[in-house]
Amino acid sequence: MTHKHDHAQRLLKEAEAAELRNHTRRHFLKESAMGLGSLAIGSLLGAWGCGNAASKTNPLSQVAFDPAHPLLPKSPPFLGKARSVIYLHMAGAPSQLELFDFKPELAKMDGQDCPPSLLAGKQFAFIRGVPKMLGPQAKFAQHGESRAWISEHLPHFSTVADEVSFLKAVTTDQFNHAPAQLLMHTGSPRLGRPSMGSWVTYGLGTENQNLPGFVVLTSGGSFPDAGKSVWGSGFLPSVYQGVQCRSEGDPVLFINDPAGMNRDLRKASIDAINAANLQEYNEYNDPEILSRISQYEMAYRMQISAPEVMNINNEPDYIHEMYGTQPGKSCFANNALLARKLVEKGVRYVQLFDWGWDAHGDNAGNALNLGIINKYRSVDKAMTALLLDLKQRGLLEETLVVWGGEFGRTPMMENRNGAQNPFKGRDHHTEAFTIWMAGGGIKKGYTHGETDEIGYSAVSGKVEAYDIQATILHQLGFNHEEFTYPFQGRPFRLTDVGGKVISQVVS
Amino acid sequence: MLEFIGRFHPLLVHLPIGILLLACFFDLLAMRPDYAQLRSVVPLMLLIGFISALLSSISGFLLSGATDYDEDLVLYHQWLGIGTTVMAGILFSLHKKGSSSSRWGTILLVLLITITGHFGGTLTHGEGYLTEGLGGAVETGPVLDSVPNIQQMAVYNGLVQPIFEARCVGCHGDSKQKGGLRLDGEEWILEGGEDGPILPDPKDGENSEGEMIKRLLLPLEAKKHMPPKAKSQLTQEEISLLHWWVRSGAPFNKKVGEMEQDGKMKTVLKALASGKSAGGPEASVSDLLPSEPVAPAPATAVERLRDAGVMVLPLAQNSNYLSVSFLSAQRTDDSIFQTLEELKPQLVWLKLDDMKLSPQTIKSLSTLVNLRKLSLSGSSITDADLNALQQLKQLRSLNLSATAITVAGLQSIKALTHLRELYLYKTTIKTTDWPALQQTFPKVNIDTGNYRLPMLPGDTSEVKLN
Repeated sequence: MTHKHDHAQRLLKEAEAAELRNHTRRHFLKESAMGLGSLAIGSLLGAWGCGNAASKTNPLSQVAFDPAHPLLPKSPPFLGKARSVIYLHMAGAPSQLELFDFKPELAKMDGQDCPPSLLAGKQFAFIRGVPKMLGPQAKFAQHGESRAWISEHLPHFSTVADEVSFLKAVTTDQFNHAPAQLLMHTGSPRLGRPSMGSWVTYGLGTENQNLPGFVVLTSGGSFPDAGKSVWGSGFLPSVYQGVQCRSEGDPVLFINDPAGMNRDLRKASIDAINAANLQEYNEYNDPEILSRISQYEMAYRMQISAPEVMNINNEPDYIHEMYGTQPGKSCFANNALLARKLVEKGVRYVQLFDWGWDAHGDNAGNALNLGIINKYRSVDKAMTALLLDLKQRGLLEETLVVWGGEFGRTPMMENRNGAQNPFKGRDHHTEAFTIWMAGGGIKKGYTHGETDEIGYSAVSGKVEAYDIQATILHQLGFNHEEFTYPFQGRPFRLTDVGGKVISQVVS
Repeated sequence: MLEFIGRFHPLLVHLPIGILLLACFFDLLAMRPDYAQLRSVVPLMLLIGFISALLSSISGFLLSGATDYDEDLVLYHQWLGIGTTVMAGILFSLHKKGSSSSRWGTILLVLLITITGHFGGTLTHGEGYLTEGLGGAVETGPVLDSVPNIQQMAVYNGLVQPIFEARCVGCHGDSKQKGGLRLDGEEWILEGGEDGPILPDPKDGENSEGEMIKRLLLPLEAKKHMPPKAKSQLTQEEISLLHWWVRSGAPFNKKVGEMEQDGKMKTVLKALASGKSAGGPEASVSDLLPSEPVAPAPATAVERLRDAGVMVLPLAQNSNYLSVSFLSAQRTDDSIFQTLEELKPQLVWLKLDDMKLSPQTIKSLSTLVNLRKLSLSGSSITDADLNALQQLKQLRSLNLSATAITVAGLQSIKALTHLRELYLYKTTIKTTDWPALQQTFPKVNIDTGNYRLPMLPGDTSEVKLN
């Protein structure tokens, strides 16, 4: 017929061919073999009445990922004792030898040369040659009915020793901050994996649709060394990445409408953007677009809810006193109080990073007997208050609190590049450090694991990052080995190929 | 050499199974006129099947002498296998003679193959391998229940043997002796396995813990770790008990009280005596959830609640029990609470924080008798309302913080015998009311909150850096 008609025909054919090219051999194999096979097996099992795990799942539990409502609350596979997590990360790695791991033998060795047996075949971040041993820079005492050893640096925390479980023999295989932080929070020392908070919000959603499910709060004047990747969503849908909020000024940057923009106009513009996005979705079917639409809607709702929840100023004075907050400033105490408020309002995972714990002793600010003492003081009262405040509100039984760094510190005094450091400090140490956990079904007043006489390495109850992650997931109702996400042709999990639930600290 | 031939048995057996089953199938199919021509191949198939069955029987017989299978099972399997072979031979000769009345023989052969095969499978894979796939739960909880009179208990019969029974005897017992080891009796335990004794040799002194403890303590990933990774594992307490028993010279007729007990062992035994042995997570979690199953909640009621912004969620994917939270509810009128009544059997956790509760709401609430955890923090609940809540006999945890509840009002819920946690922060209740409260609720953890931390000099000052 006409020239125009021919042209249209050609275009149509081209489109069909293009679409066919999308169906690769892989598609064919996958869809024909697996598709038909699983269909057959499914019907077979169904007919026999044994069924698979899926048929036992309660249809009300909303297990599947719904791109249009990615943060709706979901049921865990098993009944978990914890419903939310507050993770207090002391970025830079606090010294276990000045806080929890009491080593009188080390005091006797103070100032002596480090025995060669401790150095043979080992690598340190800064120690070179033969360093001197450094005795504990604190006095210790036993506290509570559990007789837990806690140093004079944590006078407030000593009073709640019976609320927590100590893991005294945590180990890692990374002696630099960024990879070690990534390992702790994403299960891999390299970039690209989703963080624990992302996994948890992916698996459980969140109970308050007007707030983010995974909130990150930082203090100490700097981001953790691993940067924002420690709260990234990796290959999980991007809606699960941590949302960084602030305890001073606007809780979320740019949350307030600019001058001249009223709420109706804001609504109208979000509606228009979403309509355009929806059109885009209809064309490309990319679920990320639906997530984007829901994010815009949540941001709009957050404009109302977030300022109220995230404003710590409307808390009574005695609560401020208890935490030791510093109104108007960005500090750990403010963040701890905010963490309690967020969990109370149904936020699933709150991640705190407090920077400045890297006690090398190369300057007064990070000397164990000077600047680091100020770090102890800045967290001691606040973390104690957080536990007590959660407890009195009945929230501690369903909120898991974890405290720790990314690695430990050496029993040797750091000698950067072979020369004695000017102040008392310790180098990065991978073989033993302390982490504590509390609430959310964790044993009260318990200590798991032991280090040798000088706190150099674990002698019993050794655990690693994967074990801690497995335990956190377990408390939330997941089997860490079955909680996976398919990516690049294979299922991935937070604990990679490791991890064992530390059942000794589970009550 | 003979044993080598025997090792081909697991390979060979599949031939007669496949060939004979197909022969029987063809034989039965050939009764239909459409497939009558199949009849001609049946004798040949039966012959090949018979020969392969014969070879299987011979190799099987050679294998049975070589390894340590359960004797009874081997005998059943052996005679049924021989029966199958004979039956195949008989059928072949019947067909050869042209007899057509062999249908019952054919069916008998199918049965024989099936049963023989099943016993064969049980021999290699262990008892219960087939039914495991049906989802029977693997027992992982602690073996030992509370033992009140623990010091009088016989240490071997009362503690050690039950652990062996539950964790080891499946593979090291009467029906199977993996590694030549049996753990179901004194003589076998002393005898050890094919790699030698499992208990330490007294000559080696105190430092030797023996092969059994060594393998129990190996990391889970280790090849020689016992029990194997996929099987249910011993709890820490069970391992310490066994370790203690071995350390004490593995006595078979002593009582617990007659043996030396160090501090660590005393705590383990004490925990056992009080029944609080490392119960594992399930033991205590299950208390917040009824153990008996329940029918699914009506989906329409759930839908109505969700439409009103109420969160309704099963506590776990495989459970029908529900938790409900009004945290971000948009509508909270009486009809919503009436809908809640429809979830009465399933509803175990309920959060009504900061809610205004009308008399009608309280009435609805009092019908939710399966509730185990109820949070009314910041709600308008009064002493009079609390009276209605004494119906909630299953309550384990009750949060009344930031309410107008008084000590007098609490008297009305003293009959809640299961109650374990009671939160009374920000109420009129003072620490001076404690003695009275503890008398009313002797078993309950009462938290009146209001914690204060003293102001220490370090809290507000900083160490000078220069």
